[in-house]
Amino acid sequence: MNAPPADWGRDRARVWALRYLLASTAIFVASGALGMLLRSSQADLGRLDPNAYFAVMTAHGLGAFVGWAAFACMGISWWVLASVGFPLRRFGAAMAQAAFWLMLLGVAGILVTTLLMDFAASWVFLYPLPFHSAGEWGDAATGIFAASVLLAGLSIVTWCAGIVHTVLGPGLHAVRPTIGNRLGLALGLGYLAPRRFATNPTPVPYAVIPLAVIGIDMIVATLPFAVLLVIMIVQSASPGVSVDPLLAKNILWFFGHPVVYLLLFPAVAVYYLLIPRYAKRPLVAGNVVALAWVVAVFVNVMIWAHHIYLDYPSDSSQAVINTLMQPLTYAITIPSALSIYSLVFTVWRSDFQWTAASTSLFLGLVGWLLAGLSGVVNATIAFDEVVHNTLWIVGHFHHMALLNIGLAIFGATYAFLPELTGKALWSERLGLWHVWLTFVAGTAAFALWLVQGLEGAPRRFAVLPERYDTLTQAAVPLFAVVALAQLLFVWNLVQTLRGKGGRAAVAEPGAVVEGATG
Amino acid sequence: MSGTATVIAVGYAGLAALSLVLAVAVWRSTRSRRAVDAARLAKRENASLAAVVAILVALLLGTIFLVPYGESAPAGSQRVSVTGFQFAWLIEPQVVKANVPVEFELTSSDVSHAFAVYDEDGVLLTQVQVVPGRTQKLVYTFEEPGTYDVLCLEFCGFAHDVMRGTIEVRA
Repeated sequence: MNAPPADWGRDRARVWALRYLLASTAIFVASGALGMLLRSSQADLGRLDPNAYFAVMTAHGLGAFVGWAAFACMGISWWVLASVGFPLRRFGAAMAQAAFWLMLLGVAGILVTTLLMDFAASWVFLYPLPFHSAGEWGDAATGIFAASVLLAGLSIVTWCAGIVHTVLGPGLHAVRPTIGNRLGLALGLGYLAPRRFATNPTPVPYAVIPLAVIGIDMIVATLPFAVLLVIMIVQSASPGVSVDPLLAKNILWFFGHPVVYLLLFPAVAVYYLLIPRYAKRPLVAGNVVALAWVVAVFVNVMIWAHHIYLDYPSDSSQAVINTLMQPLTYAITIPSALSIYSLVFTVWRSDFQWTAASTSLFLGLVGWLLAGLSGVVNATIAFDEVVHNTLWIVGHFHHMALLNIGLAIFGATYAFLPELTGKALWSERLGLWHVWLTFVAGTAAFALWLVQGLEGAPRRFAVLPERYDTLTQAAVPLFAVVALAQLLFVWNLVQTLRGKGGRAAVAEPGAVVEGATG
Repeated sequence: MSGTATVIAVGYAGLAALSLVLAVAVWRSTRSRRAVDAARLAKRENASLAAVVAILVALLLGTIFLVPYGESAPAGSQRVSVTGFQFAWLIEPQVVKANVPVEFELTSSDVSHAFAVYDEDGVLLTQVQVVPGRTQKLVYTFEEPGTYDVLCLEFCGFAHDVMRGTIEVRA
């Protein structure tokens, strides 16, 4: 089959990136509204029925994490790759399409089973809880829920296939284009062994590397989880089937940890692409960044048990596994530390163009650092004993999800929307209000969670013990500001899509340097 | 707040404040727009890697020996059997002595739970996960007499947050 022209591939990437962005933003609004319901219920401003609370929590968690953040990052990745010379080819375009519809179906199933069928086993649905509902939902709901999550998982695997296919494309400029050589190049080995992994005329863009890493890792991480989900579907119809709960917990987190990086690594690719663009200088990066990504591709799938540090039954080898996971988890911080170094020094003393997009990305880097530091606490077994399953964890991952990944998504949306639609951003000023309010109110709200966690406040309580009420109620106005800021974002998007900002000014194919002000 | 929680709070607050100061410094630096030696900064990345690795190794060596794993109950310790189920704890016996180690033997009869002990001031003292089909052990010594609350810290269903128990500690 002849390869399609690059223009075709760029156009396909544009179409799918836009569809993913719009669909994921709609899911973001719905999931965010569910999050506000949880916060107001916990603060006694309209209590939800206990099972309804946890059903909403299940929908909010999966909706926001997978349906919004992962889905948005997946979509943005198509455009990031096209922007650095890796347009979609036919197989990749088919995968992009399949992953899109699988994700939408999966999210729809999750919303139906949680909000209409009362499935409320939390968004990690620790086995065997889905089959012990205490009379609140039926096994059919569990089966349909598991099938829905499986569809989302298949979406991820399909996306991975498309990503791996795309990053192995001719944009690598491999001198020796064997499959092994191209794979090594996509993983950044050209920076470590330039003779063995030679390119001509240009080296592999940095933005390609994290996407290649996560494309490979998520296939490895998702397949065992898919098997667990299939078993759960079978068990929902044939109760005689079962799985060892500790094994199931390991399988869940074997997927559950890397899936965090399904969000983070595409966000890193966005930073690698856009921060240099706004700083008007190449990424300040040495070869050692490539070394960090080689570490990442292996270590990412070897650190799942840091989520289960406090599981160490005497008749298992879990204590040994858990102990090994602390240094390995520390190792996975190295790509983040080096990336933050590179990106910060790319901005340092540069002629940085401060726009809504670039401000969002810069604040996202700050959020990444703050969330990464709280992550080191969780990664340390002796500290995790104090913060495990407290609101500290909730503060940590919301910080990571909204104020690192989220701000990267918002930044990418503001930067890419004119490229994807040909329409200039309606209001830079509204965009700046959005990202600043999100960052300031979000940081404050999540800091309150961190404090509550250190005071021992449990997570996943519909009603917290009274001693935590003051901070729970103090957080509500902060969350209201975060929510309000997102409405500004959505309004800006709507007006932009309606063409209210005028046409985007395009200097070269796909590269918008300045939008007309609206 | 426990002693360890206070250490975390102080350490994190200090690092977070430093991060914000650095962020402001980087933001302000873009006003000066002075030329930088990008190649030199890229080379210094190796030094930053070495610094990060050194900090992480120090943190590892400072904390890895504090893991709760493999603690065995010394002779003369008290034994308490705990069973978790939706949505209560069965604790036998419920009364123990202060300053004598207690070895908890924990099981679950249905789903995953987590056994968490709080003192009368609401300070989280210790916690461990309880997975169905497994026996989890936990050794803890209560220093003060009083009534200690037991909460479940692993989500176990709609009444998870009312799954409570108590342990009475006497002198």
